[in-house]
Amino acid sequence: MKKAILLLLMLIPFCGVVRAQEETVEPEAVQKDRPVRSPWESGYLIDNPTSLIPVKNTLEFVIQHKFGTVENGRSDLWGLYAPGSNIRLGLNYVLMTNFQVGWGITKKNMYNDFNARWTVVQQTRANRVPVSVTLYGVMAIDGRSQAYFDGMRYNHSSDPYSPLATYSYRAGQRFSWFSQLIVGRKVSERLSLQAAASFTHYNLVERTGDHDKIGAHLGGRFKFSPQSSVIFNYDIPLKIKSISEQREWVDHPRDNLALGLEVSTSTHAFQIYLGTADGILPQDQMLFNQNDWTDKGLAVGFVITRLWNF
Amino acid sequence: MKGKNLLVMMTLFFFGAAALSFVVSQDQKKGAPWNVPAEYKAMKNPHAGQADLVPAGKMLWAKHCKSCHGNLGLGDGPKAASLQTHPGNFKEAAFQAQTDGLIYYQSFIGRDEMPNFEKKIPEAEDRWAIVNYIRTLK
Repeated sequence: MKKAILLLLMLIPFCGVVRAQEETVEPEAVQKDRPVRSPWESGYLIDNPTSLIPVKNTLEFVIQHKFGTVENGRSDLWGLYAPGSNIRLGLNYVLMTNFQVGWGITKKNMYNDFNARWTVVQQTRANRVPVSVTLYGVMAIDGRSQAYFDGMRYNHSSDPYSPLATYSYRAGQRFSWFSQLIVGRKVSERLSLQAAASFTHYNLVERTGDHDKIGAHLGGRFKFSPQSSVIFNYDIPLKIKSISEQREWVDHPRDNLALGLEVSTSTHAFQIYLGTADGILPQDQMLFNQNDWTDKGLAVGFVITRLWNF
Repeated sequence: MKGKNLLVMMTLFFFGAAALSFVVSQDQKKGAPWNVPAEYKAMKNPHAGQADLVPAGKMLWAKHCKSCHGNLGLGDGPKAASLQTHPGNFKEAAFQAQTDGLIYYQSFIGRDEMPNFEKKIPEAEDRWAIVNYIRTLK
């Protein structure tokens, strides 16, 4: 099953490449080749970044919010009034063409994150370049008080069977990293798809967890009107024994599935969705998501972005 | 009797004020004539009559223009009511009689409540696509 998913992820960005090669025969079309219009409406696709980076010197303010899960039904209005909500406020700035840096702060674990996104290659209209390629990196700092770290037992050794009695707190244990390679394609005026591979590392995890996780990601949008789209993303933390520190996974992170609607205007994009993960930072989702979308582990969430050009 | 007169006066005053408030709030001013630089007046549309750009223009119109100018360019978009100046009716013959260069300047350089769109729509072809779409609104 996993192999089939991986194969699908690898093939999807190349949909339409054969047709693309036919179109590039005309020399004039090659000469005028430019990046495709609006491959995405926003730099966010629910929980994942996209290849879309606004023009240079654009400031973006983003609000990402996830309510509690729907499991308690109407008693907490399907999670809308549940205490387990999460929110991230972020600012991104486009320093140079196709390169953006950002900072954000998240309620869960009081993460401070610093991120950068670089669209290395853009898909072009005449299909001279059939896909866009984007690199994304996030460094996060767990901002909780030291008491949280002191009160827990961690696997901070490369030897999972080492005694854990000599635990001592170090600031570096708050750090985590996430890096991602995204390949996307605007398949048609209505349909855009992207697939990605990621690597997550936490300096400190609980005894039953892994420090490292490789993930696969799939996302897309289908426009049903000039401003509105159906959007989805699916993130899979892969079970790879060779990089795991566990003989058996006790609580392996769950897949994150989300399905939503997007409405965009000149300076705003609004996405509302039903999704699995309670975390907002990608490394948190890849290592700590325990919500199961097959067992009422779904929550309403939204993403709002606002752009200012300077 | 005096009390009855007072009541009539107050009722008339109340309804008069209410009626006046409707007139005042809906009385948007018409935009003053545009002072367009000569270079824009003389600007030629390099994509004039290019029908294949119209779908792209329609998409960009929906994203950037529709909220004020409305679906059909009548100036009746959801944001239009909060503007002090009416966004104009693009179906009117006087509007459509303008050159493409004049429409380009008004659309993307802007003034006052009409924002500048040069950074939001950085590509010239996309701007002309919108101009071509505006031409279909007549």
